[in-house]
Amino acid sequence: MTGKRCSAFLAIFLIAVCSAAYSAEKIRVLNPTPPNRMVDRVPLTPRLDSLEGKTIFLVDIGWGGENAAPSVYEEMKAWFAQNMPSVKIEVRKVKGSYMQEQPELLKEISEKGDAALIGIAG
Amino acid sequence: MSRNCKQLEQQYGIPAVGSSASNIIKYAHGHDFLYTNGSPIRYIAFPFPVAGQPQSVHHKYVFESRDVVSGKPMMQAFIDALTAPLTASEKYKGPAPDPDPAESRFLGPDTEENLQRLFKELDYTDYLPIILPTEERVADMLKGTSRRPDEVIKVLDWPGGRREVTVERVAICAVMAGAKVEYLPVILALANHIPFGNSTSSMANMILVNGPIREEIGMNSGHNVMGPHNEANATIGRAYTIMSKTIGGLHNKLTTWSTLGSTMQYNNVCIAENEEAMPPGWKPFHVQAGFKPNESVITVATGWSYISSVTEAKREYPVHMWMADYMKALTMGSATIIMDPTVAELLKDTYGFASKEQLGKWFAENVEKTNYASGQKVKPFREASVNIIVTGGGGQTTWFVTDFMMSRNMVLAGGSTSIDDWR
Repeated sequence: MTGKRCSAFLAIFLIAVCSAAYSAEKIRVLNPTPPNRMVDRVPLTPRLDSLEGKTIFLVDIGWGGENAAPSVYEEMKAWFAQNMPSVKIEVRKVKGSYMQEQPELLKEISEKGDAALIGIAG
Repeated sequence: MSRNCKQLEQQYGIPAVGSSASNIIKYAHGHDFLYTNGSPIRYIAFPFPVAGQPQSVHHKYVFESRDVVSGKPMMQAFIDALTAPLTASEKYKGPAPDPDPAESRFLGPDTEENLQRLFKELDYTDYLPIILPTEERVADMLKGTSRRPDEVIKVLDWPGGRREVTVERVAICAVMAGAKVEYLPVILALANHIPFGNSTSSMANMILVNGPIREEIGMNSGHNVMGPHNEANATIGRAYTIMSKTIGGLHNKLTTWSTLGSTMQYNNVCIAENEEAMPPGWKPFHVQAGFKPNESVITVATGWSYISSVTEAKREYPVHMWMADYMKALTMGSATIIMDPTVAELLKDTYGFASKEQLGKWFAENVEKTNYASGQKVKPFREASVNIIVTGGGGQTTWFVTDFMMSRNMVLAGGSTSIDDWR
């Protein structure tokens, strides 16, 4: 009985020592993460001297549905009418998803507008 | 939004301002600027939330609130964003002045315990224990493909950083997820779809596997197909999350801003279709998508939610009508219905739907929602935007209606990819 107990304790001791040695072993592993590369910086285009008499496009990217950007833009239009009536506001919605390119809309803004607000993301 | 602002400024010389709610402005100014856009776009940020608020709140935002970015009255901030002269940094053109953050090829040497902790600290895991990717384990994993370890599968331009997805990095993630070597071609095909869907909403993903590889690697398409009962389903689904976080760079409040998140992102609803149990005339999903029956294909879908039938089919409430009622709750004009083979048989034999396409057409014609603002009735689905998946063990006539968007109307990284190309 005593001999069996000693054997059991010895076995537990050896397992513990081996486990400790294994967990303390230092290993090297591969890194799954690639480096991020920053994109080149591009400057902003020069700003306007003033908004007086200008045409500003407010572009709805479609996020949040009809009661998000369209509703806010209605208020912005009202603000300009009240505070800067010479500013003309045009509201547009992107075609399809905001993730798609919008060449026709951007061309229209460039031909008819002086500045734009694009949003509202959330 | 930032892409359109940049295009307007660069291509047409039109000053543009971005607008967001306050919840994502940090991302716009930070990661998006540094790694995706490169243009120091001027933003105005409205208080949050914007969507779903009454007009009176929007009136207050515009007339009384302050811009979250500058602290100025909102409309003054907008005017200034279009008229204030550019600063030196806004005029800068050229390489980013800050060095790229370094990533070494190896981590360690250190103890397993410390490395497990390090991977968590770096947010490289799903916070469950991982298999540490030693060189030996990764080399073994790479035996699962004929592709070279340094082959670039794609370069991620979203969420930016031009991050290279290489075969070796995918193998590293497969090891971490606990995958077997024979799963690697599936995971490499899956890597074409990283990172997974990501939004301020609770966007989630679904992974569907079709074709012979299901049997070859022992995927489950029977009982408990959607539960934690199969090694291949479990680890392939998990690998998508680990790849999206490590290679894809999705980290909480840095590049992913979902306010609630989704528990589906632990496994990404990784399932196989039970093609053998399909009623005659019903085609497997990959065949519908244009692949041959003997090709192995992975399809990744993006969605948010699913609703269970809970109980078995009822005579007084035909399943297609019951499904149609559930579909009224979906908001994106897309649906994927996951049904047990017994439901498919019922739909064919009892209700006469000879094909998945015929069932999809019925949904497109019969699911009607009400626009409560206008009172108008609308039919939000098209035949092509309704997908039918048959899977499960034939043990009960249950089904799920989900809003997942599959290949035919995918968003973000969705779509179908051949697995055989990655063997």
